[in-house]
Amino acid sequence: MTNEDGRRSQLLRGVLDLCLLAVIGEGPAYGYEMTKRLRARGMSIVGEGSIYPLLGRLERDGLVATRREASNGGPPRKYYSLTSDGTRSLRTGVEEWKMARDAVDRALDLLETEVTP
Amino acid sequence: MNGFVEECRQEWKRLGVPDPIANEMAFDLSADIEEAEAEGGSAEDVLGNSLFDPRRFAAAWASARGVTSAPPALMTVAPVARGHHAFFRPSIVVALAVFGLLAALAAVALAVGGRGAASVARGIVSVPGSVRLRGPVSVARPFRNFVFGPSLSAHGAAPFVALGFGLLIVGIIFLGLVILYWAPWPGRDPKRRLW
Repeated sequence: MTNEDGRRSQLLRGVLDLCLLAVIGEGPAYGYEMTKRLRARGMSIVGEGSIYPLLGRLERDGLVATRREASNGGPPRKYYSLTSDGTRSLRTGVEEWKMARDAVDRALDLLETEVTP
Repeated sequence: MNGFVEECRQEWKRLGVPDPIANEMAFDLSADIEEAEAEGGSAEDVLGNSLFDPRRFAAAWASARGVTSAPPALMTVAPVARGHHAFFRPSIVVALAVFGLLAALAAVALAVGGRGAASVARGIVSVPGSVRLRGPVSVARPFRNFVFGPSLSAHGAAPFVALGFGLLIVGIIFLGLVILYWAPWPGRDPKRRLW
C-alpha cells in the first residue's frame, strides 16, 4: 500500500460511520444495498474492509434500528433505519466534517499559495 | 463462499455468540453475497479485504455487536493498540513465571549442594582446627543459618552461596511481578489484565 493509499484509507475510515448514517438516512436499507448506494456516490469504501462491524456498532450504540423485512423477490433482509439519536449524530457529524474540511482546505490553499509562483 | 460463512460460524461458536444471533449474521451475510454474485459481482464486492481473513472479520463483527462471551483468540487481539503495555502480553508473563520458578528451584538445589559440598569438605579435613575458614560472606545471618546451615563458611561453599542467593532473589522478584500482575486491584477490570 502506497502512502497515498494509506492516507485515503485513513481518511475514509474516519468518516465511514457518517457516510453510512447518511445513506441510511435516505431510506431503510440492508447491508449490501448500503454498499451499492455508497458505490453509486463514488465511494468504494468496501475495498478497505466490510461495513458489517460498523453497522453492528451503530446498532449497539442505538444510532440505527433494525427490522426484518421481505426484499424484492429475495429472502427477508435486515433493514437498518436511523433512530432519533442517529439523526442527531448525523447532523452533528456533518457539521464537524464541514468544519474540518474547511480548515483543511484553508491550510492546503495556503500551501498552494506558497509553492505556486 | 459457503466456506467463508462456515469459518465465520466456527469463530462465532468459539467466541460464544448465541446460536440465534450467529444464524442471523450468517443468513444476512450469505444473502448479501448471493445478491452480489447474482448481479455479476463477487464476494469481494461485499466483504472487501475481509474476504481474506474470515476469522478476524467474524470476531470484529461479533465484538462490534457486543455478542461475544469469550475473548478473541490471542492472535486476533491487536496488542499494538496497547502501546507500551504489549510488554505484559500473557506469553511473556508465563515466561516470567517459569523463569522465576526455575530460578527459585535452582537456588534451593544450589543451597542443598552447597551444604553438601561444605559437609564433604569438612569431612575430608577432619582434623579439628584444620578447616580453613574464609572471611565473612555477605549474607544476612538468618538466611545463612536457615538456608545454608552452620557449614556455610567451609571452603568451597561460598560460590554456591553467592549464586544460590542471587538466584533466589531473582526468582522471588519475578514471582512477585507475576503475582502483582494477576492480583485483582480495586477499580481494575479483571477482564482487562493488560495494564
